[in-house]
Amino acid sequence: MGIQFRQDERFRESFSYFNSDAGVLRFPFPFGEDRYMYSVNIEPHTRGGPTPAFAHAFDIDEHYIAECQERALVLADDPGRCQVLPHMMPAQWDTLELLMESLSADYPEHFSLTKDGDSWRWINRPLGIDQSFVFGRPETLPCEPFEYITRQAQGDFTLQDQRDDNLFVDGGMVTTQADWSLDFDIGMSFHEWHGPVPLAHDIGVFDRALRFLLRLQYGHPVRRLNWTMTINPRLDTSPENYPDWGPDRTTVTPENVAEKVHLRVELQTLFRLPRSNAILFGIRCYLLSLKDIERVEKWRKRLHRVLTTLPPELAEYKGLTRYRDTILAHLAPHDDGAELSLGIQPDQTVLPPA
Amino acid sequence: MTDQGIKSRPIYAALHRDSSGRRHLYISAGSGPPPEALGPDGLESWAVAPTSCEGTLRRPDRAGERRFRSTRQLMETLERRLASERMGLRLYAEGPEDFLWDVYGIAQAQGLGRQEVFLKQSGSLARRVQCVHCKTFNEGVTTTIVRCAGCGANLFVRDHFSRRLSAFQGVKVDAEQPGDVPQAERAYP
Repeated sequence: MGIQFRQDERFRESFSYFNSDAGVLRFPFPFGEDRYMYSVNIEPHTRGGPTPAFAHAFDIDEHYIAECQERALVLADDPGRCQVLPHMMPAQWDTLELLMESLSADYPEHFSLTKDGDSWRWINRPLGIDQSFVFGRPETLPCEPFEYITRQAQGDFTLQDQRDDNLFVDGGMVTTQADWSLDFDIGMSFHEWHGPVPLAHDIGVFDRALRFLLRLQYGHPVRRLNWTMTINPRLDTSPENYPDWGPDRTTVTPENVAEKVHLRVELQTLFRLPRSNAILFGIRCYLLSLKDIERVEKWRKRLHRVLTTLPPELAEYKGLTRYRDTILAHLAPHDDGAELSLGIQPDQTVLPPA
Repeated sequence: MTDQGIKSRPIYAALHRDSSGRRHLYISAGSGPPPEALGPDGLESWAVAPTSCEGTLRRPDRAGERRFRSTRQLMETLERRLASERMGLRLYAEGPEDFLWDVYGIAQAQGLGRQEVFLKQSGSLARRVQCVHCKTFNEGVTTTIVRCAGCGANLFVRDHFSRRLSAFQGVKVDAEQPGDVPQAERAYP
């Protein structure tokens, strides 16, 4: 059966983006409670969770082909979105192996990997790729192994080297980011690249998260959710292109708020890599319009409550200030204050018509 | 405005002689004498002559002292020197932040460890600012907002600092509302 991939989606200019009902219900809604604050909300990345988005090591959905095409467009404009420092070559091969093995095991109808010693053959049916290469020999691939495989995956990825009791972001493929620059941050330590995040430093979130991640074990990946909001279904909200997408934030009106505003969720996963001892950080981005969120009663009410109580520093950092009140005015009439179940699961299996 | 609550800024301590080193090299962007805590014994001291010298270098005052006509000349010499160094060198640098991290970058590229380089900020607080949009480096920025020499955008100087680039990040201040540029304030004299 397999996934029905959407064709002709566009995440820029003349936007075209649509979620099926199943696509809405599998969305990893990030709010398990009525209030939000930073925390070390890390849990084991085991198979299964509140929605099907948690079912596999690396989630593939109906937007796969379109997102890979969007990534290629970003890289054509700005090759610096993919960079890996020279000492990270073992981590590049670790990443390629992990992604190929996971995707071929989890989605055998779409991907296959066969090995004869170091001679590997990779087939990616949705993208029409059939590549034979020698594992460990970069010259047998069309580009370096990290770029090669992350061009065929949804979401951003970074590579963290572990040394001096710290983690250093020494590589990445970053084309669908929530306003941070790999080109600027590459080489930074854990606290340095998180420097701009407000409030969390003072409550010790990064100290605790770093201590936890330094002990991350091979074979025991972990995950967390992070979120922001994006105007229009735009994947590339990079600081590089901020002059192009920044003005979108002034275009939200009571009439268009439900179509324009998207909740942007990152399903972040962390994998210890076996040869390099580096950590692969997956940042899988999901976009869901306010209009689709409203079709889920629990999510509609909870989003209203979270945005009402969000600390102003967080609203500012996430860039919501200009349009938060418009969202609240839109959602308020549809929140009766009824108690909602804990957790992020939608609590319904059928959606009302869009 | 000067404290934006961003935690990627380095913190600097006074320079002291690291007694585990066998050779000691002090590099200064200014022309003052080395700090006394570095001790006189066998200390090499490199400094950049002020531009008022107009390229004329006076004789060193003491053994181990060396002067350069420009920062660039000093950095190029340092690179060659470190390429032929052996274990045991301790490097001390003093000057503006971009100078310090340029020295640090050269030291790292030539194989010195983190524990073998000591940095102390002094002199001008002016910043090197990289435009995150067009990647141009704007040198000697003293104000909260600067017009990018590369793309013309009015950049807010964010407190986010890259040691690798020796630079702060500049972000278009009126990206959301073009033309809405606040008054620049002198903040980094």
